[in-house]
Amino acid sequence: MPELRPVYITGAGAFLPGEPIGVEAMEDYLGRVGGRDSRMGRRALRWNGVETRHYAYDREGRPTHSNAQMCARAVAAALEDARLGREDLTFLAAATTQGDLLTPGHASAVHAELGAGPLEIASFQSVCGSSLMAAKAAWLTVRAGEHDVAVAAAGEFSSRWFQPAFYEGTALVDEKGRLRPDADFLRFTLSDGAGAIVLEPEPPPRRLSLRVEFIDLVSLADRFDPCMWAGSTFDGRADPLAAWSFAGPAAAHAAGGVALLQDFELLKRVIRAWIGVYLQKVDDGRIVPGEIDHLLCHYSARSLRDEIVSLLEATAGAIPEVKWFSNLARVGNIGSASIWVMLAEFLSSGRLKAGEKVLCIVPESGRAFVGFMQLEAVG
Amino acid sequence: MSATADVLRQLAIVFAEFEGRLEQTPLIRKLSRGRFALADYQAFLISLRQQVKDGALWMSRAASNIDEAHLELRSMLMRHAVTEHRDFRLLEADFVATGGELETIRGAEKNIGSEALSAWMFHEASKPNPFGLLGAMWIIEGLGSIKAAEWGALVKRSLDQPDEAVRFLLYHGENDVDHISEFQAMLDLVLPDPQTAARIVKTARVTARLYALQIEEILA
Repeated sequence: MPELRPVYITGAGAFLPGEPIGVEAMEDYLGRVGGRDSRMGRRALRWNGVETRHYAYDREGRPTHSNAQMCARAVAAALEDARLGREDLTFLAAATTQGDLLTPGHASAVHAELGAGPLEIASFQSVCGSSLMAAKAAWLTVRAGEHDVAVAAAGEFSSRWFQPAFYEGTALVDEKGRLRPDADFLRFTLSDGAGAIVLEPEPPPRRLSLRVEFIDLVSLADRFDPCMWAGSTFDGRADPLAAWSFAGPAAAHAAGGVALLQDFELLKRVIRAWIGVYLQKVDDGRIVPGEIDHLLCHYSARSLRDEIVSLLEATAGAIPEVKWFSNLARVGNIGSASIWVMLAEFLSSGRLKAGEKVLCIVPESGRAFVGFMQLEAVG
Repeated sequence: MSATADVLRQLAIVFAEFEGRLEQTPLIRKLSRGRFALADYQAFLISLRQQVKDGALWMSRAASNIDEAHLELRSMLMRHAVTEHRDFRLLEADFVATGGELETIRGAEKNIGSEALSAWMFHEASKPNPFGLLGAMWIIEGLGSIKAAEWGALVKRSLDQPDEAVRFLLYHGENDVDHISEFQAMLDLVLPDPQTAARIVKTARVTARLYALQIEEILA
């Protein structure tokens, strides 16, 4: 068996549609359920601390890009950052929470938009953590010598799921026309965009790249019910036979079983479970907090981060705040795309120096999943 | 890294595992899925009463086995025991407020998990300087500070019971906010010591497993 090869992230790219959208204009893009202003928006924004985000809609409510088109733009940007052309790419792993079609997979749609000739592809559908699932596939395929240029891409078009049509006329809206508060809250927490990284077996000469040290993915779905989901009602989500596809699309929609939903109470328990997994990595010596120079942690809300920090300090698991890099306040929570959009901005910020270690953490509330990727700057 | 932080980290891992295990028990599944019935809640209260009543007793016994070199820890355990030793009365009152009979909760037998948990606690508390029990306290106190209020809120939502019927769960959530810092202070009294550290973590593991067994057995 040939030796496993080292693998380097040699390029990163992002695509954010349109202009940054401020707080006051959000509902002009998301629409108003039942024609009235949201009651939860202000509270959600205080909680998550996001000031601007991007939506793939224009002011008239016309979509400007599909999810796959945004991903293809991010892939092109990442390849350009790696000084490669589309013809160099031979493996594409694409991730998303919800692709443009129910099926076939997202990677097919991204490839269709990208061109680049026949490719090997892999589709990963989950929530935020699908990004690292795709990255692990791309990393291993280069590591094993199957491909020399692989891309892991991720994109979200969350805002279309928050349009009034997903809620109006369903059980999520009460007789007074008010949207269920947790469903409404979620509309103000996710936005649109795409990101991608390029992986190769050689570091490029005369510039920095990131050697992948490990990608560890941990699911705790055996113990938690779905925490963020689409395709079932609140009460039916733990029953596999109550999924939307059994009722059929019209009945499922009417029951409130098609919209994207989150259980914010369960989220608190899931957060503690993520911290448990992280602390286990620290305890095993897999992650050494004192050795991390830069932390890129995907978190959906400023307040979530504060909650996590206090426990980590008592358990010697904390990574000092000066080492955290985040663009959440400006680009919002873009689900699976967030980590690559963050990494692309971090790499172009000039903060990284050769020899430094970067830890990326992507927790996913979907059904209690968390991924870790550790990198070392080379060059 | 300090010895206290190392132990706290391992205890946090044990507690996260424990929460995951609780989440999979039939009783808590029903609670978190909105399928909790009054009979489930009453069975839950009965089981909690056994363990809460024992809590102050094993803590007192542990205190009586702590030597003169650790008087501060002995004082802390005694104060803890005093604070909590009447709490089971609150559970009885909650049970009656749900429409249950006082004799029912007082006369109920321990389930298999409760028997194991109780026997384990008294066994450990009977040893000289039973510092490992700090690990048991981490689990039991963690239930109070983290889980009780969550469970209380879920019970209220699913059962349409008055506040007087959920006082134990709700009251615990309010009283244990300084959980981690108080616990750190207790750990500092017996650490650093590798054997004690290992025993604290092991005791936490066993206690968590037996506690979960008690919850598993409620609907068994």
